[in-house]
Amino acid sequence: MKALAEAAIDAALGAGASYADARAVSLRRQFVVTKNGQVDDMSDTESEGIGVRVLVNGAWGFAGEGRLDEAAAREAALRATAFARAAPGHHETSLAPVDAQSGGYRTPVERDPLAVPLSEKIDLCLRAEEGMRQPDVKVTLAMVRAQREHKVLISSEGTAVEQELVECGGGIDAYASAEGITQIRSYPSQHSGVSGQGGWEFVEGLSLDAEAPRVGEQAAALLRADECPSGRTTIVLSPEQVVMQVHESVGHPTELDRVYGTEAAYAGTSFLSPDDLGSLRYGSERMNVSSDATTPNGLGTFGFDDEGVPARREAIVQEGVLRGFLSSRETAARIGAGEGGSMRADGWSRMPLVRMTNLHLEPGEGSFEDLLSDVDDGLYLETNKSWSIDDKRLNFQFGTQIGWEIKKGKLGRMLRDATYTGKTPVFWGKLDAVGGPDAWKLFGLTNCGKGQPGQEAHVSHGAAPARFRDVEVGVSA
Amino acid sequence: MSRALDLAEEALRATEGDEAEVLVHAERSGVARFAGSVVHQPTLIDNAVVRLRVVRDGKVGWAATNKVDAEGLAELARRAAEAADNARPDPEFPGLAPAADYPEATGFDEETAALGAEDQARLAATAIDAVPDFELYGYFTSGLTEIALASTTGLRAEEAMTDAVCLCLAAVEGASGWAEQTSWQAARVDTASAAREAAEIAGRTRGAAELEPGAYRAVLEPCAVAELLRWFAYDSLGAYGFLEDRSYFCGRIGEQAFDPKVSIADNALDADNLPKAFDFEGTPKQRVDLVQQGVIRGVVWDRRTAARSADGQISTGHAPPDAWRFYGPLPTALTLGPGEAGSTEELAGLVGDGIHVTRLHYLSVVDPREGVLTGMTRDGTFRIRDGKIAEPLVNLRFTVSLPDVLRDVPGLGRELKLVNLNDLYDERFAYAALVPALATARFHISGTGSGPGL
Repeated sequence: MKALAEAAIDAALGAGASYADARAVSLRRQFVVTKNGQVDDMSDTESEGIGVRVLVNGAWGFAGEGRLDEAAAREAALRATAFARAAPGHHETSLAPVDAQSGGYRTPVERDPLAVPLSEKIDLCLRAEEGMRQPDVKVTLAMVRAQREHKVLISSEGTAVEQELVECGGGIDAYASAEGITQIRSYPSQHSGVSGQGGWEFVEGLSLDAEAPRVGEQAAALLRADECPSGRTTIVLSPEQVVMQVHESVGHPTELDRVYGTEAAYAGTSFLSPDDLGSLRYGSERMNVSSDATTPNGLGTFGFDDEGVPARREAIVQEGVLRGFLSSRETAARIGAGEGGSMRADGWSRMPLVRMTNLHLEPGEGSFEDLLSDVDDGLYLETNKSWSIDDKRLNFQFGTQIGWEIKKGKLGRMLRDATYTGKTPVFWGKLDAVGGPDAWKLFGLTNCGKGQPGQEAHVSHGAAPARFRDVEVGVSA
Repeated sequence: MSRALDLAEEALRATEGDEAEVLVHAERSGVARFAGSVVHQPTLIDNAVVRLRVVRDGKVGWAATNKVDAEGLAELARRAAEAADNARPDPEFPGLAPAADYPEATGFDEETAALGAEDQARLAATAIDAVPDFELYGYFTSGLTEIALASTTGLRAEEAMTDAVCLCLAAVEGASGWAEQTSWQAARVDTASAAREAAEIAGRTRGAAELEPGAYRAVLEPCAVAELLRWFAYDSLGAYGFLEDRSYFCGRIGEQAFDPKVSIADNALDADNLPKAFDFEGTPKQRVDLVQQGVIRGVVWDRRTAARSADGQISTGHAPPDAWRFYGPLPTALTLGPGEAGSTEELAGLVGDGIHVTRLHYLSVVDPREGVLTGMTRDGTFRIRDGKIAEPLVNLRFTVSLPDVLRDVPGLGRELKLVNLNDLYDERFAYAALVPALATARFHISGTGSGPGL
């Protein structure tokens, strides 16, 4: 793979590129999904190819070829160069200087998730499904996945790095329905479960089958729960809901390409401007958010990003003040701070974009019970169900799968169809407590969409339960 | 015989006697993505994916690869067979699709297929140059997609499809407008016209005002209508949602649920859409009436879900591409029947007092069973006063029950617009909705967000 990538760089420079990088990628993904006691989907996909990115007269070009041979590598380089040369507009592109990197990175793995027999994966899913069965639970679903990505990055500046990233994960869902009401309950999180880098031990640690009875019981109980009331109140969010809040209202708006407008037509821009760095009050003093591409088990963990910038940990928000952006070498040069480090591509056929790596709400102190104890009247909301946020990442509305009243510091009756809404800096300004390190959990999501053509990034977030005062809840149609 | 079908046949031969089906999904495409009136993210893709489905003793295994040499195909056969051997017998598996005669579908244009990087860049430049007073964001893309199927049942299917899309956001600080054009013939996509339309809308959005949340009458432009239907479809218009009690249509077949002016169908054979002859199992496409004159008629099916139905459904030709398998069969050529209004202004006259919405952003399903959706308006939201489009509004959060939106429809536009719905994830599979503008008596605004523009 290294030789192919080098051939692509030679071809690109020979065709007039002032800069070029080439990523040769080999990817394998495996899914096992069972539904209602049957194997619903069992797929095993491999994809390999080379993506070549070039700068010609300041204009980017990118081409991907779905083959790993020298002819394909050279062809991709020439096509990328031709596309860059044809690109309209006045182009000025500078890249933040980065030392040429060499070496590699491999995910520490105890048990290769792709070597685990399919029959073992199916058994786990079916066991978990069995545990969720209840009279009103009409659909049970269990999923496990595994992925290995082997990639080599070569750049015209001398970077040559090789990485093997291994991840796996799983999740379960129970859908209950009766009398025209349908409810879902999931574990360990919504939307295809949770994944992390590491071996099959990560999936075993999720204890899908052990949690299944609770998931099924709660799905059925939701059918008879009261609807979430409307009004303004104190809410405590579970860690997996906090990470959605961090993802949508901190991660995306701090992507510097969005701040500069390059995602305006699709994912949107940001309410932040470059001048806000170091001064904008994002939230209360309890709010500390960091980006950390070195987090163990994080889906955004690597040795080097897809521009060859070494992994790092950076403060994004400190004591409520904006301290950093997620950036590329290009956007870092433009803002005059940092050197990038957040460029990631979805396979070989997509150009790297500024993406989250692992973005965490840092823990505060105390337990979940401590957070509840200071609430006289409020709501505890758990596990995301719906999510939407405006194009500048300001107005958001989230729904959760389940909620409970909090009365005098204790959980009360169960509630269904809970929603809450707010505006990003106002909402984070109402953060008055974050649970401590013992309550802090890591969640890996595999469906973060961005870019045209679309790319799905795999990112992780860590959070503890968090409490927000005076929040609007119970939005209805 | 096409290159894709050749490859499908070759992969089928590598399966060594198993009952098997091969799908080849090949793409050659270019996206000239621009921002700030500069092409900044140009992407060229050339790839072919082979998916093999093997059946052994009633057990089904899948595998896919883009390694299409003999070694790669042999490895594919081995992995698919291993998957099948490890699977459990599936009593609901309906068998592989039989050979079929396919309807005529005219979704291929030689000139569009021949467009290269320079052409894509030139057409992007034409859009950019048309609006010197605004920065332009969006893309021009064109591509050739080839689908072929071969199976041990004797099924042979092949199809080449082209598509061309120009999406334009004309914007500066405090102002933005949106327009788009989609066709299977690039010659019918006027990139300069799309850019000018976006700029015209943007020019009217400066000084946007806030709006009190509440229920409003509204005129929804085709882009907004298409997006609402797309998100409603995920749970309500496909067989999974229907079989699993998530669909609004559950228990309502034959019910007059919507305004009699509302008729919704899925029709991939329509030459005005992006035509397709068969689905990803090789079943011929057919027109499916989902709602006729406000009466709920049904949902779309593939072979597996049809076999699970209690009332003898058959596949309507809606087996999804691999990336959508989780969602099951879904409409890919939605059409909402036209009305009589000759213009947006005429629809605004029917609304009287309300809002005018150009485009929606970031939708999510709040309650699938009741068809409740939330999202934002953007890039052209206006007040309607005295039957006329009036001052611009900030982006509005809506939380609506789509059935409520469709229950009282004062009017629909006469002209249908093809709205792109493909966000270009995964392998290229162009699809779109053919819809008019729509006036509704109820569109619930639940909050306000940022203003238009950058």
